[in-house]
Amino acid sequence: MNIEKGKISSSQILFLLAGFVQGSVLLIDFTVGITQQQTWMVILAGLVITAPFILSYVALAKRFNGMNLVQINDMVYGRFLGKVLSAYYIFFLSMTLSFNILDIGELYVNFLMPDTPFIFLLAVFATVCAYAASKGIEALARVSHLFVVTEIFIIVSTFILLIDQMDFSNFLPLFELPFIKIFQGIHILSAIPYGETLVFLMIMGRLNNTGRMVKYTFGGLLIGAMSLFIVSIRNTAILGKTQTIWTSASFQSIRLIDIGTVLTRMDFLIGVAQTVLIFFKCSLFFYALVTALSQLFGLKSYLPLILPLAGIEVILAATVFQSPVDHAMITQNAGIIYSAPLMYVFPPLTLLIAKIRNLPGQERGGGR
Amino acid sequence: MIFLLLIYALIFVITAPGLIKRKEWREFAAFLVVYAIAFALGLMYVLGIPIPSPMRGLQYLISDKLGLKYPQK
Repeated sequence: MNIEKGKISSSQILFLLAGFVQGSVLLIDFTVGITQQQTWMVILAGLVITAPFILSYVALAKRFNGMNLVQINDMVYGRFLGKVLSAYYIFFLSMTLSFNILDIGELYVNFLMPDTPFIFLLAVFATVCAYAASKGIEALARVSHLFVVTEIFIIVSTFILLIDQMDFSNFLPLFELPFIKIFQGIHILSAIPYGETLVFLMIMGRLNNTGRMVKYTFGGLLIGAMSLFIVSIRNTAILGKTQTIWTSASFQSIRLIDIGTVLTRMDFLIGVAQTVLIFFKCSLFFYALVTALSQLFGLKSYLPLILPLAGIEVILAATVFQSPVDHAMITQNAGIIYSAPLMYVFPPLTLLIAKIRNLPGQERGGGR
Repeated sequence: MIFLLLIYALIFVITAPGLIKRKEWREFAAFLVVYAIAFALGLMYVLGIPIPSPMRGLQYLISDKLGLKYPQK
């Protein structure tokens, strides 16, 4: 039995995915300190390396049409092992959601509303995400294109407004960083904006037509990746080496916009865009988390768990890291290592087992 | 503290009566478990009791014990 009744179209998955990846625009700062002026390369390399794994997510969703990740795990690995694996996924969803809620809290406390109590910001934001998730995936899909178009407009317009201040020699020298730094950068970007798209394994089962799923999934991924790429190019061309010392390179570069002393202090644009996109990303994470947990418990509806789960996420977000430095250090190491099996091992393995056992062909009639 | 009690009372009032009325006992039990965890965490936060971070535990296990980490310099 599936706990969500809503349906979305293949074209909506394009905007959902694009908005989801764009929601990580500020998170490229995790990599900037490591890969410096070569961040743009790492963004592209991360996309190329993660693409086959994302293809395995799509292949799984197509093969197990109408089923979510918890149902797929139960069918492929059996009830016990499947539930253990689903619990691992739920832990990942819960932790990553709390990091994203924390990101919005840090964004507001550091740049926009420094006098507002931190826990209040987290609680309000989590409540709004919980409300959005309670409306179901259909409602989120219907507004996704607005978020994506707004972000593209802001990225392109700020790029154009800053073009006269750009210094493209900031990208030099190329290939001077040690390989391990590039590898770590690729791992971070592969895991954070791209690998996190595994939440779509809880969403793709709601597609009404899986016909053009690969095309739309990669279309969305490409729009998201291009947004990250343009932001990275803009920040490096404007700030050069100094981008590594700022708390947020995007905020700093946008603050430099000065068109005839009329168009200045445009950083509010980044604040608005990021609030909207992190809200969108968190709502998708929240939806995936609450539906996965409800499916694991075998509930008929996920609605009763939404508000208490929001309460847990707020406290996790407030206590999971001691400081932004702690946040960056743990994310750049343990954070991307513990989630690696979920992104790079289990989806292809599940697909392989399903092919060998010819699933879901035999069990579909009686399978949950 | 008062805010915490008010918020959790409100969550209970919004969610629980409907579940009891519809006799959705499985949903009610799941709600109570998640609600109890959320309330306990909220109470610990408000009373200033340190809440162990799962990520610190993972960092200890993965980086310190297993030695899986990227070089810092």
